[in-house]
Amino acid sequence: MSSVAHPTLLVVDDEAQIRRLLRVTLEGSGFSVCEAGTGAEGLSEAASACPEGIILDLGLPDVDGLDVLKRLREWSQIPVLVLTVRDTEDDKISALDAGADDYLTKPFGGRELVARLRAILRRIRGGNDPAPVVFGEIEVDLAARLVRRSGEEVHLTAREFGMLRMLVQHRGKVVTHRQILRELWGPNAEDNTHYLRVFMTHLRQKLEPNPGEPRHLRTESGIGYRLVED
Amino acid sequence: MDSLPPPPAAQLGESHHRRSLRLWPSAGGSHWQEYLWVTGVVGILTLICNPLPEEYYQGLGFVYLLAVILLSLRVGSGPAMWAGLLSVAIWDYAFIPKRWDWEIDKLTDALQLGPYIVLALVLSQVTVWIRNQAREEHEREQHATALFHLTRALAAARTLDEAAVNSLRLLDVLLGAQTTLLLRGDDGGSLSPHGASSYFLNAGELPVAEAAEQLRRPVGRFTETMPESLGYYVPLLREERVLGILGVKPPPRANLPGRQRELLDVFARQLALMVEREHLRAAGEREKLLAASAKLHRTLLESVSHELRTPLAVITAALENLVGAEPALHANLLGEARMATRRLNRLVGNLLDQTRLESGALKPRLNWCDARDIINAALDGARDALDGRPFSISVPEDLPPIRADFALTEHALANLYFNAVQHTPPGTPVAVSAGVVPGGGRVFFTVADRGPGIPAAHRERLFQKFTRGDAARAGGLGLGLSLVRGFITAQGGEVVIGGQPGSGAIITLYLPHVAADNPPPE
Repeated sequence: MSSVAHPTLLVVDDEAQIRRLLRVTLEGSGFSVCEAGTGAEGLSEAASACPEGIILDLGLPDVDGLDVLKRLREWSQIPVLVLTVRDTEDDKISALDAGADDYLTKPFGGRELVARLRAILRRIRGGNDPAPVVFGEIEVDLAARLVRRSGEEVHLTAREFGMLRMLVQHRGKVVTHRQILRELWGPNAEDNTHYLRVFMTHLRQKLEPNPGEPRHLRTESGIGYRLVED
Repeated sequence: MDSLPPPPAAQLGESHHRRSLRLWPSAGGSHWQEYLWVTGVVGILTLICNPLPEEYYQGLGFVYLLAVILLSLRVGSGPAMWAGLLSVAIWDYAFIPKRWDWEIDKLTDALQLGPYIVLALVLSQVTVWIRNQAREEHEREQHATALFHLTRALAAARTLDEAAVNSLRLLDVLLGAQTTLLLRGDDGGSLSPHGASSYFLNAGELPVAEAAEQLRRPVGRFTETMPESLGYYVPLLREERVLGILGVKPPPRANLPGRQRELLDVFARQLALMVEREHLRAAGEREKLLAASAKLHRTLLESVSHELRTPLAVITAALENLVGAEPALHANLLGEARMATRRLNRLVGNLLDQTRLESGALKPRLNWCDARDIINAALDGARDALDGRPFSISVPEDLPPIRADFALTEHALANLYFNAVQHTPPGTPVAVSAGVVPGGGRVFFTVADRGPGIPAAHRERLFQKFTRGDAARAGGLGLGLSLVRGFITAQGGEVVIGGQPGSGAIITLYLPHVAADNPPPE
């Protein structure tokens, strides 16, 4: 966040009241905001205003938000946070598959929205930052392939480290089951989600202060996992 | 012919009773067969008497007379008269001296022959007449008995269908015919065949039944309208309305005497009454249902508007008070507003879920899940409601991944947490546990509280939507357990309410369990 004083965000939502509320919330958190009320307007704003992030509603009056997202992804990798009333797992997964960076359902908390936005913006700017990542008593040095807990090295198997690496690289953001399975086990293993349960249990036992109620390695209902830093 | 028709249910199944049950026999041998028969009997009698000595001829006259009377008991009046004439002729020709001659020697024999002729003819006719009288009397009695049984079959039936089945089977046997019944539904509409029919109308017979409907009188075979058809059709009339059609199809060439048609007409009137009664009853039922559904709508509207307005009122009041309030109160007011929005959100979510369940839009997505994760996710949503209560989770360390729809199971558990909070005194503990049911095959989640418990009599009722426990304090639409059951049964599971009244409620969710294979070694 330090390199740009006021990153610009584009809000695409047909409800004027939601746009007003988002403007108040986001400007109060140091963002500048531009708005669009339809999908078409949103796409042209995304091209002309060069925002650094987009908050996208799926229920738009002219085109479905998912189509807006797909068309956007044809030419841009701008971080997109989907903000919608659609709350089923299928909706979430299809939005994430279509290229959304995160997904939040209405009604939402302002603080959570800002935290999620910061996470996806930071990931884009500092995603390849070689500096070790610290959460709780854990320190992960991806470059050195080292994990320390309270300063002591923790031994992880290759797959455990692979999962942790994906979560750390996308920290703050949902990583779907399918993404993990495809990357670590190959495209044929996409349905073997029970593998993930086993490895996640091991990871939590090794890294969480209370594995039964994880603070950092969080489950995202039916979708995937998310690394929460604080 | 001698036994009375037994009640339909008792003996209809036994085929050997069917014959004896038949009310009217089909016509016996035809007329000329009777003449032949009479001639044969008289001829045989003559052959038997022929060797007797000549002087027995007077006694033989009485033997012939007896034969005529006995024959008259069996045959019609024409053949009976023929028997009389034939026996007189043979007696004169073959036996009265001198034999084998029409001549009569003595005057006394001639005097005997004259009255003999009269006696033979009169006796034969009187016998036939008496016999016919007796038969008619018998038929009248049978008719009354048949009607009695049909009426009883109608009266004893609890439903129209039962009445139709019983009476049609009885008719089949009584008439030795097939029967069919067409009924109009209680909403008007066209006539449709009833399942109790023993034959159904084909393209040839349908117009005949339709003619009976239009003319409002019996038509078809044995009548002047469309006599070439196979069946006889009687409309079921009630105040000028045709409620149905009763059809009877005797075997080809068999007759359907007037008395039987009369019986059918009387029976059709009674059946029409029954159909009308059924229609009135159905209309009453509909009325009652409508009233009940209107009442439910009213209650629902009241309860939904109460549940929606209460949190809205809290939010409005809190926000308005915020403007002039001392800063110290801000946190309090905001806290109230936040709590109200959560309640509102939960309510809307439950209403949406209920709608999804009922519209069949809810398709479970089974996936491998960690039971502990589900319990925690549900807890996240209910944390503020559980505030200040001891909450314990017990899940075995080695619980394998379970196959479930994460979101549905999470929603079900969250609803159980909210229920536990809502129905138990503040500060009492809530405990959740999960595990594999011994023997495998099923996994369970239980949520136990230390509240008043749920009386066994109320348990099943609570699964109905918009139903709240008697002890429910303010709040709630009564959707919770209905949703829980919907979510769990959609995944092939089961919800069981347990626990002892007085020592808390224990609600258990069961889900089918399959063991997952282990991930390949690294």
